[in-house]
Amino acid sequence: MVHAQTNATAPAPPASVTTNSPDATRPPRAPTRIDSDSVDFDLTKHEATYRGHVHVDDPQMKLTCAQLTTDLPESGGRPSRIVAETNVVIDFTDDKGQTNHTTSDKAVYLYNVQNGVTNETVTLTGNPQMENAQGTQAGDVIIWDRANNKIHFDNPHMIFRQNLNGATADTNAAAAGTNDLSAPKKNDE
Amino acid sequence: MNAKANITRASLAAGAGLLFAVALGVRAQQNGVQHANNFTTTEYYEPPHQQQIKSILSGAEALPQPGGLLIIKQLKLEMFNPDGKLEWVVNAPECVYDTFKGVANSPGHLQVRTGDGKFRVEGEGFLWRQSDSFLTISNNVRTVIENGAIMNTKP
Repeated sequence: MVHAQTNATAPAPPASVTTNSPDATRPPRAPTRIDSDSVDFDLTKHEATYRGHVHVDDPQMKLTCAQLTTDLPESGGRPSRIVAETNVVIDFTDDKGQTNHTTSDKAVYLYNVQNGVTNETVTLTGNPQMENAQGTQAGDVIIWDRANNKIHFDNPHMIFRQNLNGATADTNAAAAGTNDLSAPKKNDE
Repeated sequence: MNAKANITRASLAAGAGLLFAVALGVRAQQNGVQHANNFTTTEYYEPPHQQQIKSILSGAEALPQPGGLLIIKQLKLEMFNPDGKLEWVVNAPECVYDTFKGVANSPGHLQVRTGDGKFRVEGEGFLWRQSDSFLTISNNVRTVIENGAIMNTKP
């Protein structure tokens, strides 16, 4: 971390130090923090369950829920399955810089690498909704494909869109009127 | 699940097992030893890694109590893998270990971290059950995971 700050303001380092330049140009990633009322570590099942006022503060997203269960990864590894339950709220910024706010009863994060292909998804169920600059969208299931940067809505039965050309005061009315436009089809964004 | 993961998890369970073993040892000597100061107990791996330290349990005081209880102050438990790498460090200012039930608990602070410090958990009040390797931290739990161990899409 010190190297990154130093290199940002100092002249180019000598050649012998430039091997660190890739790390120096990339700012250190902030840690992930999980706060909760309590936690259970089950070393037989290799999982941890956080309960009560669970807050996850990650550089790429913020999550709150009542209970969060994660497998215990190997040292230096990462969890392959995280389940957040009850009043799940996730705020994240996608690769386009757009902020998204989701609510659901349950969110399941899965991560695995098969045949060199990384699969990383967050599946929202239980009245899932996603709100962003385009409006609020809902579906039976919302799948956030993080590996491919796609968001999939399964049976998007409600879509509210803001009136991008009109006054914001009319947003609700306009949004309600767009319900007819939300055809019952799969919707990928 | 690879061998490394197994070693890590096994080390944590083994370290707790060491605590249990030490407690049993003290219990056996309760009639002769009132307490121990600045104690350190080292456990080694089974062959072929018998030269490697498996875990080091240390404390400022160990006070045997009636009913098979043992009060340990300034507990520090360090667990190593067979390569000598420090895997886990557990710190607690004080805890009570029930040598009959194999349960350790305290209303006080508990810190658990990996050897590299990239995964750290702390909180107030804990219960450790040896029988099923179950640790509960009861209040004000704070976990820090360095280097994006969770939800890090882009390496």
